[in-house]
Amino acid sequence: MQGPLAGVRIIEMGQLIAIPFSMKMLADMGAQVIRLESTGRLESYRSDSVYKNDISGEFWNKGANFYEQNRNKLGVTLDLSRPEGLGILKELIRVSDVFSENFTPRVIKNFGLEYEDIRKIKPDIIMVSSTGYGFYGPWANYGATGPATEGAAGLAYQTGYTDRDAPVMSEIPYTDYTSGEHTVFAVMAALMHRLSTGQGQFVDISQTQATSATIPEILMDYSANGRTGNRMGNQDTVMSPHGCYPCQGDDRWITIAVSNNQEWQTLCNVLRQGDWASNSRFEDDLSRWQNRDELDGLIGTVTHSWDAHELMTALQSAGVAAGVVMDSQDLLFDPHLVERNFYEVVSHHDSTGIPPLPYAGRPWKLSRTPAVKGMPAPLMGQHNSLILENMLGKTSEEVKALEESGIIGYGPTTPRPVQRPPMDEQIRQGRMQRFESDFEEQVKRTFPA
Amino acid sequence: MTDRALEGMKVLDLTHHLSGPYCTKLLADFGADVLKVEKPAGDHTRRAGPFLEDDIDPEKSLVFAYLNTNKQSITLNLKSDKGISMLTSLIEESDVLVENFAPRVMPSLGLDFETLQQINPRLILTSISNFGQTGPYRDYKAADIIEYAMGGLMYISGAYDREPLKHAFNQAQFKAGTDGASATLMAMYHQRLTGEGQHVDVSIQEAVATGLRDVVNNFTYTGAVRRRQPNHSGDLSRLRASSDGHLIPNPGIGAGLNWDVMVDFMGIPELGGDKFNTPSARLVNAEELGQILDNYFIKQNKYERFYAAHEKRFIFGVVQSPSEVMADPQFEARNFFVDIAHPSLGTLKYPGAPFEMSKTPWAARSPAPTLGQHNQEIIGKKLGHTREELAQMRADSII
Repeated sequence: MQGPLAGVRIIEMGQLIAIPFSMKMLADMGAQVIRLESTGRLESYRSDSVYKNDISGEFWNKGANFYEQNRNKLGVTLDLSRPEGLGILKELIRVSDVFSENFTPRVIKNFGLEYEDIRKIKPDIIMVSSTGYGFYGPWANYGATGPATEGAAGLAYQTGYTDRDAPVMSEIPYTDYTSGEHTVFAVMAALMHRLSTGQGQFVDISQTQATSATIPEILMDYSANGRTGNRMGNQDTVMSPHGCYPCQGDDRWITIAVSNNQEWQTLCNVLRQGDWASNSRFEDDLSRWQNRDELDGLIGTVTHSWDAHELMTALQSAGVAAGVVMDSQDLLFDPHLVERNFYEVVSHHDSTGIPPLPYAGRPWKLSRTPAVKGMPAPLMGQHNSLILENMLGKTSEEVKALEESGIIGYGPTTPRPVQRPPMDEQIRQGRMQRFESDFEEQVKRTFPA
Repeated sequence: MTDRALEGMKVLDLTHHLSGPYCTKLLADFGADVLKVEKPAGDHTRRAGPFLEDDIDPEKSLVFAYLNTNKQSITLNLKSDKGISMLTSLIEESDVLVENFAPRVMPSLGLDFETLQQINPRLILTSISNFGQTGPYRDYKAADIIEYAMGGLMYISGAYDREPLKHAFNQAQFKAGTDGASATLMAMYHQRLTGEGQHVDVSIQEAVATGLRDVVNNFTYTGAVRRRQPNHSGDLSRLRASSDGHLIPNPGIGAGLNWDVMVDFMGIPELGGDKFNTPSARLVNAEELGQILDNYFIKQNKYERFYAAHEKRFIFGVVQSPSEVMADPQFEARNFFVDIAHPSLGTLKYPGAPFEMSKTPWAARSPAPTLGQHNQEIIGKKLGHTREELAQMRADSII
């Protein structure tokens, strides 16, 4: 299988998530993505969350986040602070369709890698820059994290518990994904345009802007009515009950959303609460919504004695929207996702000691042009000679010289592993909920290599 | 030369609610011709708030107006033979059909993928649904909160000591809409090269489950189940209250932080010395550090600190209210909010380009259509029906 994007070559000068995640999605669908790395400035995802928390050996080839974000890519190391390194990057751009990066504009300008520079090398290149606030404008050079842009975009403001003052931020770099999803679309739109006109162009992704585009409920209401809402908790603006309720066990929860009277009656029936069904305070959509705090409290007292999965099945079979709040183990072994082959088992290089492992796939399936078979993220410098010799026509002597002068390399110049605390300490600190000592067998059972 | 990236791409839009309309909005806003086919009563988002001045009028839903820019609207009753036959004529000349019904609906209308392929082999059918077109949850009901929960994002979101919490409003729907638009273009790319159509199956649950750094991998790499994080008050990246709201005073990522510069910037002498100047010292004295930082930031103005921090290249963030978002100088410099004139809503500011393209920019060419606004033009002129026939179809509830 080649994937629909076979023949598209992308150079990625990415870091962490925003660009690496989006380029992975394109690589999965057949684009050839060549990822640049620096041996001097080690990407933190290479050395964090390493397999079995074991930082011995080449720990930089064992990081979970790196493998997650860089599947199906080729890897080349280049020292861009030296003219030879920068020169090789420009040679690569000359034979590519897309150049993508997520550094601050200041860095890109210092390297002389703005769109106006690189279109001179490759006139029909598509260049994609992803930054916190956009490539131009007064905040252009402000560095950003996911929480910063989640706050700036207006998404955080209404997210939070109704009875607490502070907004609640995501515990992942959420806007990297929101903007990354838009980046995939943007690259595809630019490729479509190039297919019909032969023209390249510059795509300027502001992680904040892409996120603001997904909250019209908030921004249109302010724009039209001057209204600002409160922190919403898990409530909806019309539905009730609509929330997250405790179930049997430690930190187990279910979500339920009821959109009409019939579903309400069904919910009462499944939970065996005839009193609620006939209570006039809950008799229609409006009264249930007005009394939602009381109702949410009542429901929690009953769901508490249910197993979350059993309650989900009971409610869904009867026609009420309900879903278990899945933890990572539920999610990985979810029979629905497993049956849909959502997870993709990737085999790692022998030198890493990592067995074949499942990784999240994609939210789409294309019936005629499915994704390519998963290849693991590159070891550091793994494809140096492949790319320099086969693609750029350098001799093996030239490659050796580049290696000797430190322009390319196969490991970090200053290795600094990150040792996470032992698992029981992480659990004590509350950073993890629990630890399953037989996780390897569990994974192998459901996802044989 | 065109300035529309998706010029010439013809999309038949059978979507409703949020995920499907956001998918076709992205396509329309970047230049595709999108024909929205609504049931005669209209997309139910027309009846969803917020409305302009709380006036519950199907032409005044603000979310509908946002989601349907640059589209045309016709009405068709797809439960009638006549409606299906007119739809079939439109399918013959379309590149893409996008729908977000429950998976059983399209086959029940006689519009399963195989039939559509026979009508038009080049057609791409993009189906966005809660859990995808196959699998044991295929027919489960959902709302955004259910997708959040079953996509794995909810369990790790919120406070350690409280119930899991979702983002405000409908993030899962918007994720899937964006993914649907991307996947549609991947299939279009293939169609332009080979003439082949195909079926694109997008799952909202999977759209959420695709964007979870570390969650599943923590388990496969170490056996750990990650949960909502406790409030470690000394964490430097934590949200803090200011005198006028909240900010995220994150001094920097990783080991690059120069603590002395940070202490100097904040002007708090107690932070100097050995007590807090290394990551492990800060961990040991986290409670005290948290207290000092809280007491400091609550007296500060968030924007003053935000701008001053960026002078020093600390990556501080601010939590902006909707009014602050709309007054944001960065958005203003980038013209993010655009004026769009609509017959019932008047001229309002809308969030504009989610990203910028230099040669084929985002553009608001037309406001959201009124219900059936293009019946005359499409069903009348294009499909060749007379005014009398249109009147009859209206009387028969076909349009």
